[in-house]
Amino acid sequence: MAVRHLNVEVRREDGIAVLDLEGEINGFAEEALSAAYAEAEKQDPKTILLNFEGVDYINSTGIALIVGLLARARASHRSLLACNLSEHYVEIFNITRLSDFMNVFPDEESALSGEV
Amino acid sequence: MTDPKPARTDADLGRTLADFSVASEPGNERLAMETVAEAVRVLDVSGENLERLKTAVAEATMNAMEHGNHYRAELPVEVQVLVIGRDLAVRITDQGSGPPPKEDGDAPDLAAKLEGMQTPRGWGLFLIKSMVDEMNITGDEGHHTVELVVHLEPEGGK
Repeated sequence: MAVRHLNVEVRREDGIAVLDLEGEINGFAEEALSAAYAEAEKQDPKTILLNFEGVDYINSTGIALIVGLLARARASHRSLLACNLSEHYVEIFNITRLSDFMNVFPDEESALSGEV
Repeated sequence: MTDPKPARTDADLGRTLADFSVASEPGNERLAMETVAEAVRVLDVSGENLERLKTAVAEATMNAMEHGNHYRAELPVEVQVLVIGRDLAVRITDQGSGPPPKEDGDAPDLAAKLEGMQTPRGWGLFLIKSMVDEMNITGDEGHHTVELVVHLEPEGGK
């Protein structure tokens, strides 16, 4: 089974850097995710939103990568948000307590309006 | 991946829904996950319960490939999908030696990870345990087996 490598597009909406994620968040995603996050940081946004709409698989290594991004965000006093997670991955964000440290929104609109 | 063997009935083990192996190569946990999902289509496992099972299978297979077989492609991870009484059991076996992983390790401490006091990794066993009704780990000199158990709803149940 072919791995769907992660592609990330970075854009800016209402002062928030949005990372549109597409593919799988696993060990192969580290470089793409880190590079996209660094690109987003160049804009010095107060908030970075991870948009999971195009993501159909996150494994434990992917969870670790998200923990790493969250640590980077906290170290630079930025808020990290998430939106468009499937019901299953919302549950995983809850049991890992990621949702205690980053707000999870059902869609991009609510994420943007919740922070602006 | 070896072809799934035809389903068979075994009076002692119950019904075998699938019996296959995958090579220990990164990404093959998804192959195992999807093959198990296909095998359990005959059962009443769907929706969020199926998603939980898929995550548990993927994580257990990844652990087997990484920690048991050290990602040596020639070493297979064997997967059996069984119905035993009212339980679904998925047994995932690697070729590892040494003591099997502990079942009852501490839950990961996210706050400590965010402060850099723990590695960001280490979620696998925790996720597995959280996703299924039981997780049992056994081992001998040349194998480790992680058994994932899901209690099936009685027919006509909710």
